[in-house]
Amino acid sequence: MASTGLSSSNSSSSSYDLSFKILLIGDSGVGKSSLLVTFISNSVEDLSPTIGVDFKIKLLTVGGKKLKLTIWDTAGQERFRTLTSSYYRGAQGIVLVYDVTRRETFTDLSDIWAKEVELYSTNQDCVKMLVGNKVDKESERVVSKEEGMTLAEELGSLFLECSARTRENVEQCFEELALKIMEVPSLLEEGSAVGKRNILKQKQVHHTSGGGCCS
Amino acid sequence: MEKKRVADDHEVEPAVPVRVDRFGFVKQEQNSAEGLCRSRSASEYEREERRIRKWRKMIGVGGSDWKHYIRRKPHVVKRRIRKGIPDCLRGLVWQLISGSRDLLLMNPGVYEQLVIYETSASELDIIRDISRTFPSHVFFRQRHGPGQRSLYNVLKAYSVFDRDVGYVQGMGFIAGLLLLYMSEEDAFWLLVALLKGAVHAPMEGLYLAGLPLVQQYLYQFDHLVKEHLPKLGEHFAQEMINPSMYASQWFITVFSYSFPFHLAIRIWDVFLYEGVRIVFKVGLALLKYCHDDLVLFHCCQTEVVSVSYNFVVLSLEPAHGSYALDLGLAYS
Repeated sequence: MASTGLSSSNSSSSSYDLSFKILLIGDSGVGKSSLLVTFISNSVEDLSPTIGVDFKIKLLTVGGKKLKLTIWDTAGQERFRTLTSSYYRGAQGIVLVYDVTRRETFTDLSDIWAKEVELYSTNQDCVKMLVGNKVDKESERVVSKEEGMTLAEELGSLFLECSARTRENVEQCFEELALKIMEVPSLLEEGSAVGKRNILKQKQVHHTSGGGCCS
Repeated sequence: MEKKRVADDHEVEPAVPVRVDRFGFVKQEQNSAEGLCRSRSASEYEREERRIRKWRKMIGVGGSDWKHYIRRKPHVVKRRIRKGIPDCLRGLVWQLISGSRDLLLMNPGVYEQLVIYETSASELDIIRDISRTFPSHVFFRQRHGPGQRSLYNVLKAYSVFDRDVGYVQGMGFIAGLLLLYMSEEDAFWLLVALLKGAVHAPMEGLYLAGLPLVQQYLYQFDHLVKEHLPKLGEHFAQEMINPSMYASQWFITVFSYSFPFHLAIRIWDVFLYEGVRIVFKVGLALLKYCHDDLVLFHCCQTEVVSVSYNFVVLSLEPAHGSYALDLGLAYS
């Protein structure tokens, strides 16, 4: 039935060096959840609309570092902004998604979503990535790649065109974002603080025999 | 096999027969989970027949005896509903206990008017979500098929009927669930009964701008967790986990969104009769059910959420063979 956070369940005990929080935003139906599911698992399926928030965790190695990405997926419909706005807090990366076959989803990024980021993001240095999704529907395209690049420049963000359906550029999207985050000292520090804590916990688990990590 | 008509009337791909469970959802895998493709023994079948006879007697022809019965023996009704309404009578009983039947009778022609003559600002939003609502159910699978058309009509009609609410994602799952048990017009009036509060507190605040009722319920749920599951409540507080991370869809869709269907309809039986407190109770029961696993996990914030969330879901996944969630526990 609807999407769940299931695929992340196996990752909880693995170790990692850095941990980052990523947020996916954009209009309803642009393919935020699809991008995420395609990135996390290999399945490409039709998904239900996201109600409120959902999230998944992905462990991956980028630039020789083991990363844990916690990716928060948000509902695109306007009515849900009251629930989703609190999830901008502490995000090191924000992915702004539009659908290349629907112009209003593109204009809403500068009219609405970029303003939401300004308003709610607590990280001054937070890295943004602009993503034009559904490039597999080339014949229906109404937003050109050049327009995307221009907007990315205006927003000071990275830019990629993707297809969740064909998987084109999906991994690159998250990897490039992670690489860029690691280049920003303040974000790197935040990410490694959590990483260290994680390693500490792991050691504790090792030392206390059989009891789990809590007291 | 009462839902068979759905499967028979609207074959999606006649050439390739689709395997569906007894509720009409396309089967993904072979492994049998309880309630899905288990064949019933003769004694179970007889028991079910007896139950249906009892229910028929209780409601009378077309629901004529229902009001009388409910006034005389409310506790019997409550007990029987908690045991589950027979699937073949579910649609009718839902309309009786929600008060929607009365609304329908008092407003002849209104639904037709809303569907045919009015236009709604939400039409495009609704269309975009139609194929994303219960896409694995035979009734809703076919593009522009009867299922998708009915779902569109009900949602559009509601968005016109109450323009302040309009259409909010999540309403589609409620309407979809209802449409598996009743006609378009009946489903519409049941939606009205719920949102406008024919019998219980109105639900429209779950969908109005600012989602005020969602905020209120999440706040209350947070306190209930602290009160009834203090150890878990403290743990959640420490790890900065709040109910908006896992429970908003429980309230917004009354478990119709991502819950195993055979459990969702049992929850709906009781929800329609006893009101939203059942959503709180089931939510608390879920956390209680996963309590020990949830408290075990520390580590950084998001990990715990993921774990908590996943446990709730995992423990209900048929693949994990654990259908132990005791609805009796939930309602007590």
